[in-house]
Amino acid sequence: MTGENPVYPFSAIVGQEDMKDALLANVVYPSIGGVLIRGEKGTAKSTTVRAVADLLPERDVVKGCMFRCGVSDSRNLCSSCREKIATSGKPETELVRMRVVELPLCATEDRVVGTMDIEHAITRGVKKFEPGVLAMANGNILYVDEVNLLDDHIVDLLLDAAAMGINFVEREGISYSHPARFLLVGTMNPEEGDLRPQLLDRFGLVVDVEGEKDPVRRSDVVKRRLEFERDPVAFCKKFESEQQAVRDRIIRAKESVSGIKADDLLINTAIKISLVLGVDGHRSDLTLVKTALAFAALDGQNDVKREQVIKAAGLSLPHRLRRRPFEESRMDFGTIRALIEECYGSS
Amino acid sequence: MTPLYPFPAITGQEHAKKALQCTLVDDDIRTILIMGDTGTAKSTLARSVGTLVFSKKVLTVPQNITYDRLLGNLELESAVSTGRARLAPGILEQGNCQILYADNINLMDEGIVTTMLNTSETGQIILEREGFSHRARTRFILIATMDPAEGELTSSQMDHFDLCVRLDPIEDSGLRADVVRKHLRFEQSPDEFIREYEPRILALKKTLDAARERLPYVSIPDGHADLISSLCLELVVAGQRGDLAVARAAKALAALDCRDSVEFDDIKLASLFALEHRRRDIPENPPATPPQNKPEPKDQDQKSETGSSYRNTRPDQTPDLQPERQEQKDPDKKKTLPSPLAEQVFGIGSPFEVIRYLNEKSRRATHKQKSGRRSRIISTDASGHYCSFCLPKKNRHDIAIDATLRAAAPYQQSRERNGLAISVKKMDLREKIREKKTAHTILFLVDASGSMGTRKRMVAVKGAILSLLTDAYQKRDRIGLMIFRGTDARLVLPPTRSPDLAVRMLRTLPTGGMTPLIQGIAEAYGLLTRGRYAAAGENKSIVILTDGRVNVSMNTKSPYNELADMTRSIAGTGIRFVVVDTEVGFPCLGRARALAGDLEASYFRLEDLNSRRLTGTVQELIYTTR
Repeated sequence: MTGENPVYPFSAIVGQEDMKDALLANVVYPSIGGVLIRGEKGTAKSTTVRAVADLLPERDVVKGCMFRCGVSDSRNLCSSCREKIATSGKPETELVRMRVVELPLCATEDRVVGTMDIEHAITRGVKKFEPGVLAMANGNILYVDEVNLLDDHIVDLLLDAAAMGINFVEREGISYSHPARFLLVGTMNPEEGDLRPQLLDRFGLVVDVEGEKDPVRRSDVVKRRLEFERDPVAFCKKFESEQQAVRDRIIRAKESVSGIKADDLLINTAIKISLVLGVDGHRSDLTLVKTALAFAALDGQNDVKREQVIKAAGLSLPHRLRRRPFEESRMDFGTIRALIEECYGSS
Repeated sequence: MTPLYPFPAITGQEHAKKALQCTLVDDDIRTILIMGDTGTAKSTLARSVGTLVFSKKVLTVPQNITYDRLLGNLELESAVSTGRARLAPGILEQGNCQILYADNINLMDEGIVTTMLNTSETGQIILEREGFSHRARTRFILIATMDPAEGELTSSQMDHFDLCVRLDPIEDSGLRADVVRKHLRFEQSPDEFIREYEPRILALKKTLDAARERLPYVSIPDGHADLISSLCLELVVAGQRGDLAVARAAKALAALDCRDSVEFDDIKLASLFALEHRRRDIPENPPATPPQNKPEPKDQDQKSETGSSYRNTRPDQTPDLQPERQEQKDPDKKKTLPSPLAEQVFGIGSPFEVIRYLNEKSRRATHKQKSGRRSRIISTDASGHYCSFCLPKKNRHDIAIDATLRAAAPYQQSRERNGLAISVKKMDLREKIREKKTAHTILFLVDASGSMGTRKRMVAVKGAILSLLTDAYQKRDRIGLMIFRGTDARLVLPPTRSPDLAVRMLRTLPTGGMTPLIQGIAEAYGLLTRGRYAAAGENKSIVILTDGRVNVSMNTKSPYNELADMTRSIAGTGIRFVVVDTEVGFPCLGRARALAGDLEASYFRLEDLNSRRLTGTVQELIYTTR
């Protein structure tokens, strides 16, 4: 961390529990498929996302690889790393921390998917792929502020890559593919227009955030922020033990999550909810199950309990309730809770 | 590489799986389209085909593909080092004898899609670009997916697909649980999962190989062959592609079933694969009474059409509209008609027949004349999709590097390079042409005065707006809603890309009061020409739903004179007007038609929207001139 600007510590963030939960669930179970954060400006969205990235342990990656291919992740290597490992066995490695890669609204399509490296072409006379935002995002968090204002075709490119975990580039004389696995975090202000339902569905979880209403906690937010700005290093030190506790929790959860069985009760509950709500497609079933598993792992449990299902449903369903563009079938959460309690028994 | 989900592990979707197998059996079935709502495992299914073929590779055609990679282009390296122009083959040529996979094909560049489909049909790559003239044979299987709710393909593009299958949502909870369980297992330990399915993959491969060998010996009995052609005629399928596709698919199905002769069931299934997306009309659903008749029984007409249009809409759409229809059916029960000036809120009327096109499971929607074609414009900034290049104009910096380098490459042998590999001169510079979808801004200007309350006219109007909104949504247009009643016009919904908001507004829209049509038009025009929606380069339209009556003037002139003066002054100033005439009953004054004339607007009767003559696309409204 030396030399870098200190990041506001995750554990010092007041409130915003839903957002924290959603991000942690994604970290523990990456295939949940990202988070969409809906809410106004100034609700600590960007701070929280950065704090999560900073919290995560460093990864061992192939040194010099522009996609930061994980050494242990033999399935998702780029072509040059695969070659390197095949010929020389164990490549040199380095430790990197997860970063937040931002996709600006004005990004052009060649910068998003990558394009021909001009300098290389002119100095060497050979075509080479110049990585774009999707390449930088591999293994990182891809943060799209105001995703609802992004050009449609850019969003399509993004989702095309996200769906497969691979960015296929066939443009401007370049034919190339590389791994593009990232945690997609989008933010939007719903007043500025909605996302297409198809896009909404691609986001695993949705969080609606609002500013802190409680006056005491509100002043807490300000006090901590001011304290952090005055002396960031000292502030971070103050929270170090809490940070370590969250970090340990994440590491333990990541290890244990694959051991937690998705039992019939959980799966059947998820499907029952989808059927009652009339949600087509399998994403809602899968996301609810995976999120519940992630929460169980984060809570250090060996099986999924009612509370975790309710929490997971609160994050994975709100944006999937509407099936067609114009059907207003917003169902209140009470119905979902009742369904879960019917399956799991009420407390 | 990321492991592929094993084909036999896909739960349900037997039709789609059969259709995909047909393409692997008969080399002449070359294109298949998989349609389905979001999250119905379209892509998983399409990609899983890769597990069935050893000898073939699956090449992904990504969204970002450009023509040079599709068809081939100059090979930079050899041009620089030897000065000789050689061709680097594009993905269509590399795909020879392989499988090409295009996800979300309806979101891809239209020209690219057409090129792919044409190449697949003719088997020939024709390249005439950048000084290259190149011909090559190629034969590939194209597997494409699309979510129809995201936009459509044109009918000729649809017709080019040999087969088309639709994935239906799985409603059975047991099967759904199966999907979830398999998916989780596959994600957690893919190798183990794939190993588990290996025997079934091998068995299926054997079946496919046997079917391929058998195929040349499979014949269609004469009677069945006639059945195919009469089926195609009956379903009013244009062209011969349908007949051929049915015959081929039926033979493949028979071969897969180890038979040498095509049976009736093969044809039944094959026509589902090959004809459903080519159908032009709906024979089992005869058109309702043509609405161009006496105005009096209009309400009756409305009813009958409402009924027919519901037959095919999703059942879950109905409840909302039920009470309104009830009221319509029993007009006599309401003895006391409300005074026209009293404020009332009407529900949204039947979303019209046109809605059926949009919600229906089969793809008749694609036969609309102009639909599916998004309007595109050449982008003036660096945003948009890079589609082509040109010699640079003044002060532009969006250099097309690939084209520039290709232009420079052949001269490298003779140029002074100063230690660089390529020397680029000014004459080589090429600039990108970028294309983006036009942002249409459509403002609906709705008469919500008391006269619209009579005969529940507002119900029909709301229905019409809803139909148009659905279409506008698919085209990603920006939609605004302005109503005029009482003494002024009110912007209920500033132009937005969120039609959900528009529908919510529409639902609670009250009617009643006077008819300030002049103020309405003036406000709407002002909003689109002066306000923050006046941005240049956008297509702007105002759709006025009115009976043309006006009874509030802005100054001392008679309202009609004033209206005529005002409308003539703003006609032809860059904004398109559409007048939808809501007039009903006697006396028929034709005021809306006059208004349309003054505005140089396209003119429609509200009933036109409810008939088969119009399919309810905003584009059609805006661009049809009468």
